[in-house]
Amino acid sequence: MKNRLTRRQLLQLTGAGLAAAALPRSLLAESTALLAKPIPGSDEKLPVIGMGTWRTFNVGNDPQLLDARTRVMQAFFRQGGGLVDCSPMYGSAADTIGYALKRLGIPESLLSAEKVWSPAGGSTREQVAELAGRWGVQGFDLMQIHNLTDWREHLAALREMKAAGEIRHIGITTSHGRRHWEFEQIMASEDIDFAQLTYNITHREAEDRLLPLAREKGIAVIANRPYDGGSLIKGLKRSGEKVPEWATEECGCRTWADFLLKFIVSHPAISCAIPATTRVEHMNENMRAGRAPLPSTSTRQRMARFIESL
Amino acid sequence: MSDWASYHLQDFIPFTADIYFRLLERMGEAFWPLHLLMLALGATALFLALKNRTRLACLLLVPPWTFVAVAFFMQRYAELNWAGGYIGWAFLAQAALLLSIAFVHRGPAQLPRYTSPPVMAGIAIALFGLAGLPLLAPLGGHSWYGAEVFGIHPDPTAIATLGAVLIALRGPARWLAAIIPALWLLLSGLTHTALR
Repeated sequence: MKNRLTRRQLLQLTGAGLAAAALPRSLLAESTALLAKPIPGSDEKLPVIGMGTWRTFNVGNDPQLLDARTRVMQAFFRQGGGLVDCSPMYGSAADTIGYALKRLGIPESLLSAEKVWSPAGGSTREQVAELAGRWGVQGFDLMQIHNLTDWREHLAALREMKAAGEIRHIGITTSHGRRHWEFEQIMASEDIDFAQLTYNITHREAEDRLLPLAREKGIAVIANRPYDGGSLIKGLKRSGEKVPEWATEECGCRTWADFLLKFIVSHPAISCAIPATTRVEHMNENMRAGRAPLPSTSTRQRMARFIESL
Repeated sequence: MSDWASYHLQDFIPFTADIYFRLLERMGEAFWPLHLLMLALGATALFLALKNRTRLACLLLVPPWTFVAVAFFMQRYAELNWAGGYIGWAFLAQAALLLSIAFVHRGPAQLPRYTSPPVMAGIAIALFGLAGLPLLAPLGGHSWYGAEVFGIHPDPTAIATLGAVLIALRGPARWLAAIIPALWLLLSGLTHTALR
């Protein structure tokens, strides 16, 4: 094997070196590993980008779309994804997840998150068992009470299941900023592990009370609607607005997905965000946003001000 | 702010645009060449309506409404949206209504005048439902299987029926037969708005 460099190779190396020297320091420091945050009260770590399934995974029994969603999940797990969130309210989404997991196998990194909902009527265990059958899993890592429906009854049943080792974590959910007062009461008074709520750069109501309370009580927080149902990122992309250079330099934001997701997961109380997508390339964009560096507190404030100014 | 005020139209549509358009396409794949028979039924119903053969025209509209109720809504759309089953029943109710009209209605005493505004509007609407709407998907870059066709998909079925009803029926029967098609078109319009 010849070790001598040709003139062309030498020029290429010199060019690459010069290009690297010109790159912002933050980009050079960018890691390829997905960041993870500790789940309070446990030794586990949760990757900061999870996967939502509302609307996107409700594909019925269409083989073409079932395979397409399997590829989306494959991309998610390949890049270290963990939490997959679903609900019986999401139509056939649980079946789609089950279809994908059957083909991909159940990755070690999977943190399966489902929900029970009204009417409880003593049906909590049946709901969990039915969902486990649809996913094709033995049990769930996280079982949440969807939108606080029948929460007292569900919570009592879920505690028994947790004590029996049938589920590992218990959570409550809300979205769109609904019922925050009641949500806060439950977080303050009940022993729960996870709280799922809406938090994104244009909906930051949770910063006032819920997120500080989560830190105080050691509750992991899942941020739903990170793109405000898709309208936020679509609006930014359609507007033709470019990601500001300072955001690229300070925290490696190259895409609007980076900008919006890094803002969310850099909040110290947020454990992970759960964007939903139908496309592998968007999943790849989402997962890239979970890599270091994350914005500092002052950069986060600048990011929020920038979006408000548009 | 009440909880209801925080809901958006999009929150009531539990699927994305690609899933809905793929559903339309699956209907095309599954039932081609039934489209030709359904289009022939629709065109004949329009012709009979113009010839004052109201009862027969209404009778020919019954199979398309029944087929869309079962094959589209109950067997497929209901997988994506819990409301699909109920909408299927509404389409079956429309089929039953058209069947009732076919048996009991006497129809206008005179031939429809082509120059009267309701009849002119009816012809234009029915032709759009039968011949215009199927072209939209291919012109928009979708496959021919995605073309929405009378008797296979709900929108052209409702549109062509509205046109035929405007031509063939008068008085309360016209309004009664227009309710379900108009409601579905409203719902479909909201769905498409939410999917943008």
